[in-house]
Amino acid sequence: MATRRCVLKCGSKANFFHLPKEEHLKTKWLQFTIPQKYSPSLVLCSRHFEDDCFLNAIKLGFASRLILKEGSVPSVFASASSSVSQPMDGPMRVLVTGGSGLVGRAIERVVKEGERREGEEWIFLSSKDANLVSAEETRSVFQKHRPTHVIHLAAMVGGLYRNMRQNLDFWRDNVHINDNVLYMSQEFGVVKVVSCLSTCVFPDKTTYPIDETMMHNGAPHESNYGYAYAKRMIDVHNRACFQQYGLRYTAVIPTNIFGPHDNYNIEDCHVMPGLVHKTYLAKKEGKPLEVWGSGRALRQFIYSVDLARLFVWVLREYDEVEPIIASVGEEDELTIKDAVDAVVEGFGFKGEVIYDTSKSDGQIKKTASNAKLRKYLPDFKFTPFKAAVKETCDWLTANYDIIRK
Amino acid sequence: MDGPMRVLVTGGSGLVGRAIERVVKEGEGREGEEWIFLSSKDANLMSAEETRSVFQKHRPTHVIHLAAMVGGLFRNMRQNLDFWRNNVFINDNVLQTAHEFGVVKVVSCLSTCIFPDKTTYPIDETMIHNGPPHESNFGYAYAKRMIDVHNRACCQQYGRRYTAVIPTNVFGPHDNFNIEDGHVLPGLIHKTYMAKKEGKALQVWGSGRPLRQFIYSLDLARLFLWVLRDYDEVEPIILSVGEEDELSIKDAVNAVVEGMEFKGDVIYDTSKADGQFKKTASNAKLRKYLPDFKFTPFKAAMKETCDWFEANYDIARK
Repeated sequence: MATRRCVLKCGSKANFFHLPKEEHLKTKWLQFTIPQKYSPSLVLCSRHFEDDCFLNAIKLGFASRLILKEGSVPSVFASASSSVSQPMDGPMRVLVTGGSGLVGRAIERVVKEGERREGEEWIFLSSKDANLVSAEETRSVFQKHRPTHVIHLAAMVGGLYRNMRQNLDFWRDNVHINDNVLYMSQEFGVVKVVSCLSTCVFPDKTTYPIDETMMHNGAPHESNYGYAYAKRMIDVHNRACFQQYGLRYTAVIPTNIFGPHDNYNIEDCHVMPGLVHKTYLAKKEGKPLEVWGSGRALRQFIYSVDLARLFVWVLREYDEVEPIIASVGEEDELTIKDAVDAVVEGFGFKGEVIYDTSKSDGQIKKTASNAKLRKYLPDFKFTPFKAAVKETCDWLTANYDIIRK
Repeated sequence: MDGPMRVLVTGGSGLVGRAIERVVKEGEGREGEEWIFLSSKDANLMSAEETRSVFQKHRPTHVIHLAAMVGGLFRNMRQNLDFWRNNVFINDNVLQTAHEFGVVKVVSCLSTCIFPDKTTYPIDETMIHNGPPHESNFGYAYAKRMIDVHNRACCQQYGRRYTAVIPTNVFGPHDNFNIEDGHVLPGLIHKTYMAKKEGKALQVWGSGRPLRQFIYSLDLARLFLWVLRDYDEVEPIILSVGEEDELSIKDAVNAVVEGMEFKGDVIYDTSKADGQFKKTASNAKLRKYLPDFKFTPFKAAMKETCDWFEANYDIARK
């Protein structure tokens, strides 16, 4: 038996409706669809009906079957370019969730500075536009913008202490955000979604370097397992969605990101923004810079603007469902001390630098392999670290009043 | 808690739910306790609203959470997304609503089939998350695993002691006896019934050599009640007969043949896959708590199940 397909060739593979039996109504359906080849068993998918044609459209949270009201007539054309089984014709309309964050702002910048193509529309959402924990609000925002592509960056994130105290909230809220975005994308015929994972969700006990095949090979670190499992389940959802519907939604796994528009809250934030903020304050207050740990730990850093370019490449060209690590190579691993030196130089900080070795270093090395990225893009040039750090320091100085802290 | 329990059992019309209903009726229920057995007719637990309504209506103090979207090998393989999503939301709705309504304890139901595909044996309670599950039902498997993640996170954030049990192969009355979709033993029982009725040979898939641990639904039900009342850990507990009571599929076939009084030929179709040879689970933790718990002898349990199936053929799920 052939797989059912929507007669309008929109590639949807869910929520089909047969022609009504009543002749008058049937005629209206046929006038709308003008099928190339008539068959009494042709089906139309839910995308071609307005929401008020369904009995349960609003309540549709989780995989319920949509129920079409009697007498409904289709009236919505999904554009041919939203087909999931053929490459897209026509320009993309890209929705970026978490658009006001570190990575979202970087994507906004690279899109403005040349990455955008003729006729493309890029929409950057923030939490002000929709609470993505709510299925209804997510649906509304998809209805409003009808994207063909999605870059999904929105998440509930936090520093070490918040994670440790609230693993349930980090688990639940992120699972809901991710399911809402991925499910609505499928419902609205989005061709491709690129989500954002993290090397911090990988197994705690593992060998190095880590690569894309290892993500589910053991339990994550105890401190943020709620967040970590929620992120891992994006990959599970993508693989299941591919297996059941053939959709090629995928994800990117960055290492340590830094750049403008970060969260610079010293208690809550990550290594690099913490250093940048602390050095700014030390310089301003004429005090020494206090760095936690010995400085010997090694990390791979990726500048947000480079990551943004890679996100756009993944969106356009990367065809696998398995995620891809976005990072500089192992040869470009730096010590925390290297990072401190670059920040000090970036600010022209002349004061003392003190390493408080009573504080923990965290893991000494957590090397990720970028072999897959290099296989696809052997010539991709990362912004030299010092230049990227300088840009970040300059941005912080110029924007100190409005930064997230 | 002071005062008697009001226990809500989701998935109450299924294999395990019916067994719990029976043991509660036959003496395990205590003075003043109220036991409410829900089925999908009472609420669609995939909907947060409907779950909330049913909690509002009954205001349970305790929950035994058995409801799930389940299916055989082929359905799982084709619909991993549905099995993932529907079960995550059933579980999230029940666990979150229970927390919001101040439910003292929730006991959920996992399965040894969600354990890592590549693993050492015997498997124990600490190993659930140590690697990816089998490819054929990863959607279902991850959804079940996340019950344990939710329980641990809920304990860490709110101090709740919600927990779960991990049965091995369950069998008994009120199972799903559909030959395509059902599990090993109910499938055998139904096939033997048909073979007997049609005067044909019983065809068993595989060599009959693989080993399995089987647990009778009534024994599991008694253990569920013990977990609900007395097991205090958040980490789940495997409920199974010991390794020493592992049986081959051939042993199971013989017990079914005896239970149904089948006199015809039994043919092992060795061209069909055996599945895993051995997937031993350790019941050491259970034995630490209940060294004297007696499981119903396998043949007697099988006879009861066969008798039930023959008496209830028309209404059995198949």
